[in-house]
Amino acid sequence: MESNVNTYKDLTPARPLDRATLNKMVLRSLFLQGSFNYERMQAAGWLYGILPGLEKIHTNKEDLSASMEHNLEFFNTHPFLVTFVMGIVLSLEQQKADIPTIRAVRVAAMGPLGGIGDAIFWFTLVPIAAGITANMAISGNIAAPILFLIIFNVVQFIVRYWLMYWSYDLGTTAIELLTKNAKEFTHSASMLGVFVVGALTNNYGATTTKIVFQSGEVFTEVQGIIDGVLPQLIPLVLTLILYFLIKKKGWSTIKCIMLLLVIGIVGAAFGIWGGDYTPLIQWYPTI
Amino acid sequence: MIGPIQIVLILIVTFIAAIDQFNFLESLYQPIVMGPVVGAILGDVKTGLAVGGAYQLMSIGSMPVGGAQPPNVVVGGIMATVFAVVSGLDVNAALGAAIPFALLGQYGVTLTFTFMSGLMAKADAEAAAANPKGIEKLNYFAMILLGSLFAVATLIGVLSISNPAVSEFIGSLQGNWIMGGLSAAGGMMRYVGFAVLMRIMLADDMWGIYFAGFALAAILGSAGLGGPALVLVAFVGIAIAIYDYNMNVKIKNMGGTGGASDGI
Repeated sequence: MESNVNTYKDLTPARPLDRATLNKMVLRSLFLQGSFNYERMQAAGWLYGILPGLEKIHTNKEDLSASMEHNLEFFNTHPFLVTFVMGIVLSLEQQKADIPTIRAVRVAAMGPLGGIGDAIFWFTLVPIAAGITANMAISGNIAAPILFLIIFNVVQFIVRYWLMYWSYDLGTTAIELLTKNAKEFTHSASMLGVFVVGALTNNYGATTTKIVFQSGEVFTEVQGIIDGVLPQLIPLVLTLILYFLIKKKGWSTIKCIMLLLVIGIVGAAFGIWGGDYTPLIQWYPTI
Repeated sequence: MIGPIQIVLILIVTFIAAIDQFNFLESLYQPIVMGPVVGAILGDVKTGLAVGGAYQLMSIGSMPVGGAQPPNVVVGGIMATVFAVVSGLDVNAALGAAIPFALLGQYGVTLTFTFMSGLMAKADAEAAAANPKGIEKLNYFAMILLGSLFAVATLIGVLSISNPAVSEFIGSLQGNWIMGGLSAAGGMMRYVGFAVLMRIMLADDMWGIYFAGFALAAILGSAGLGGPALVLVAFVGIAIAIYDYNMNVKIKNMGGTGGASDGI
């Protein structure tokens, strides 16, 4: 969850990763979402993907453990573009950059890729490939599914391999610039990371309320009022409460998850949270 | 009727497709592929193709974007094909009959994602012990869990094909407040991930930056730019970061010469 160390014990850069290891990690990147979950999303799958590289880079147990711990923090990016983040993070790990620097680069890179990937794959490639082949299938052409799989996967694998090699080289060439002013770089990269987390809180925020007030003939939706004050206020408040509980009260993440399960289910019993369900107790008017 | 070997084959296909919807090729699970495969198992590829193609067209609009879970395409596509071939329903009726089971698949996803949130503490322990095997096993376990839940959902569907009461019962679960609460809680759990990152990265002088990122995403979102918002956020964030970097490097270099001249 959290690393207690900020620098690796062994600061000698490791040997550059060989092609076989990089290729292995491209294949492992296919299982990025293997243990997808609501709390840290792709974190454990991400770590699974880069483990062959990390094991080659960190030959002593303490460094490997420090690296595995910080690579288990919240992670979410587009599954087809993840090798870009892998390449750059592995190049930093290989050069034994500071852990805050690696973390900042990882967070800054993962966020924007999500939007780009959705635009390329889900909104462009799949509709085109499926649009062409679905009508072939309906008219009974057995080539339709095969054609669909070929189009989709050729694009997918070219993107995955190319991004891995390109970003690994990019990270390796950028490293000199970076280590010269390491402290300044880490500060600015952390700023970018925090900026992205702020944006994620808004963009990924998925909690709404469906409470409605009635005065005479007029129905007022509470969510409408909240949106008028500050859009995504509920996700922001919940995030800040959790931050407070973790930072000031020393809560573990598992305790936070239990709290949210209770809030979620009790709230749904009273119809507080938005969603397509029937509350146990309907205490406010329905429109 | 469906023979036992056919049922086993359908369950194996379901198991693989359930994992494939988030992993591996992320394309085998699509109805256009599953339709003809299940059709072939049941001895009617043509009907499978027709159902798969129709379901694919229907689901183009409901891609798994941003973590939202629409009624599940994997169980939906497989069950629709089974209904079309075995019960002889026409394509549209088969798609409709499959919806309760698609809902069951969606529950399987919600349960797995919630359960795996709890197992992240176990992953932390494996990392602290520098045990890669433990992380690998955790990932394999999660995929097997998801595949098995889906196989069970399909098994219920296949066994109850001539018993409409079962599908009526499942349909009546729709809108259940416990599942509603579970998915509301699921939507909140990502905030734990954010809070942990903030705890680690956020120095006291960075609160302004956090709220600035939040505000920029809100503005872009209300301008209808929800999808590309994070890309645009990155443009602004990178500009700020480069400025911060250059300023601090300048200050450091100035400080360096100042210190040297003091020495003289």
